[in-house]
Amino acid sequence: MSSRERFKAVARCRKPGELSLTNFFNDFWNETLFGWVKNGAPSQLANSSFRGQYFGFDHVRVLREIVSGLRQVPYEIGGVEAYVATPPICPLFHMKALEEDEHTIIIINRAGQTVKLLKDHPQQMPEYLAQPVSDRETWKEYKKKLAPDAPGRWPDDWKGYVEKMNARDIPVCLQVGSFFGFLREWMGLEKLLYTFYDDPGLIEEMMDTILTLELEVIERALKDVKVDWALFWEDMAYKSGPLISPAMFRKFMIPRYRKITDLLHKHGLDIIFVDSDGNINKLIPLWLECGVNGFWPLEVAAGMDAVALRKEYGKGAILAGNMDKRALLKGKEAIREEVMTKLPPLLESGGYFPSVDHLVPPDVTLENFQYFINTMREVAGLEKLPFH
Amino acid sequence: MADFFKTLSDRVQDGDDQKVVQMVEKALKDRILAIDILEKALVAGLQALGERFKEGEVYLPEILISIRAMNRGVDVLRPHLQGQEAQKQGCVVLGTIEGDLHDIGKNLVKLMLEGNGFRVVDLGIDVPASSFAKAAGEHRADIVGISSLLTLSMTSISKVIDALKSSGLRDRVRVMIGGAPITRQFADSIGAEGFAEDCVTAVDEAKRLMKSAK
Repeated sequence: MSSRERFKAVARCRKPGELSLTNFFNDFWNETLFGWVKNGAPSQLANSSFRGQYFGFDHVRVLREIVSGLRQVPYEIGGVEAYVATPPICPLFHMKALEEDEHTIIIINRAGQTVKLLKDHPQQMPEYLAQPVSDRETWKEYKKKLAPDAPGRWPDDWKGYVEKMNARDIPVCLQVGSFFGFLREWMGLEKLLYTFYDDPGLIEEMMDTILTLELEVIERALKDVKVDWALFWEDMAYKSGPLISPAMFRKFMIPRYRKITDLLHKHGLDIIFVDSDGNINKLIPLWLECGVNGFWPLEVAAGMDAVALRKEYGKGAILAGNMDKRALLKGKEAIREEVMTKLPPLLESGGYFPSVDHLVPPDVTLENFQYFINTMREVAGLEKLPFH
Repeated sequence: MADFFKTLSDRVQDGDDQKVVQMVEKALKDRILAIDILEKALVAGLQALGERFKEGEVYLPEILISIRAMNRGVDVLRPHLQGQEAQKQGCVVLGTIEGDLHDIGKNLVKLMLEGNGFRVVDLGIDVPASSFAKAAGEHRADIVGISSLLTLSMTSISKVIDALKSSGLRDRVRVMIGGAPITRQFADSIGAEGFAEDCVTAVDEAKRLMKSAK
């Protein structure tokens, strides 16, 4: 069975008992990796290919060269490397430092946001001071960066790119947008939530701009590239539930999701994930209703429970994450308990990609993470890794 | 009169700020006491919406537009409230813990506490433990509210409790905490009396702490 087929078989619950730890769902804060290396881990851990081999991850390829979904744009603050999550704008904004003190720096980042960062921890979520879109006028200018044919949206050598992507036996993911998350990145949460009431027409226009871009990207990409799964990014919930009501979700988002999932289905693509932090229990049935069937990272601190979701939705939902990152802070006993409680039933049902319930945070030790990996391998009947 | 207060309370819950302003202006012309308009209609409206939030009937956008409508009404009332100011529920010194720049949750808590009659001293983000203690002393705070969104920064919360102890304030200042990785269990483990899941339960919790302090 090829690597692509295996990924799809696990997702579709056709490989019960199979452990698939992918490099996509098992990801790290930069600070985590730098901290481990500083404390004596192999320096190559910062390299994703090496990391994949070291931890025994299955490789998944995201088509990041096509600028469609959320992109991680690298930058550097005082020698510390970090990434900023950026909507699919072409071109990016120029980064500019505005002011700084000993501890913090204020910059305009590549997404056009004015943010205050901690110099020593630039990858942490910043304080947002100003957003690139504040009204219809600023939107009119900003939306030019979302044109499907904006320079830089597509790889220069499309033919070569297609050949390279199709030649490799690695599951390939296409990012297909975001109808809430991007708007929040453009306007800021408070302004966005007011705008749903103050100017719903602007919300619809922004969502339709995303829709136009993503439909074009999907049509063009799937015509040539073999894609195995698709990914939305929303981050539209917090600890107690969704940031907007299910009724608002239904009104504004479902019709647009449907247009995208219908097109994906037309191309035979039926593994469609959404990445949303927080408690998404009230949104899952709505996403399922419009063809989005995979959910990550299922944050435990927000009350998400993959075992309960499996019981509630059966094999119709693909689940990823949900291993409580806080257990990895506590130590081996807590890690074992977390894995033993969740992994056996979820592996048995299939349709589950294990990982920590978000990026691995910097206060998790390498030793604990190694123990986490080997405990999961033990449950799946695989040999423990030596981690040399 | 009860019908009027109920209708105005409903408009606050709808977030209809223009209607709220109109109704408050008319009520003042009709010589209804400003303090009654404030407490029986505006604050009552926000409190009713808080209950609906807990029931899952409304969400954050509805809370935000409701607070805005209430505040517009309060702006009209303010010149008429002199001498009949509502008694404040208490004073809360609020901030995001050192090493953490998240402010959205903290800002929502501030809006809800103020809307429900608390005086809030907002220290902002990335606040060192010593600054919480200093502000609690200066403002004679009843509660210190601490937000933390990171597992890395949540461990610093106990430093605030230590700083309050060192300043001799711990006996009279209650500590309330919240944020994505925070649980009631964690709050108990570090000796924080209060824990809030969200901006609405933060108000309930602050009121509970005020009662327990009396």
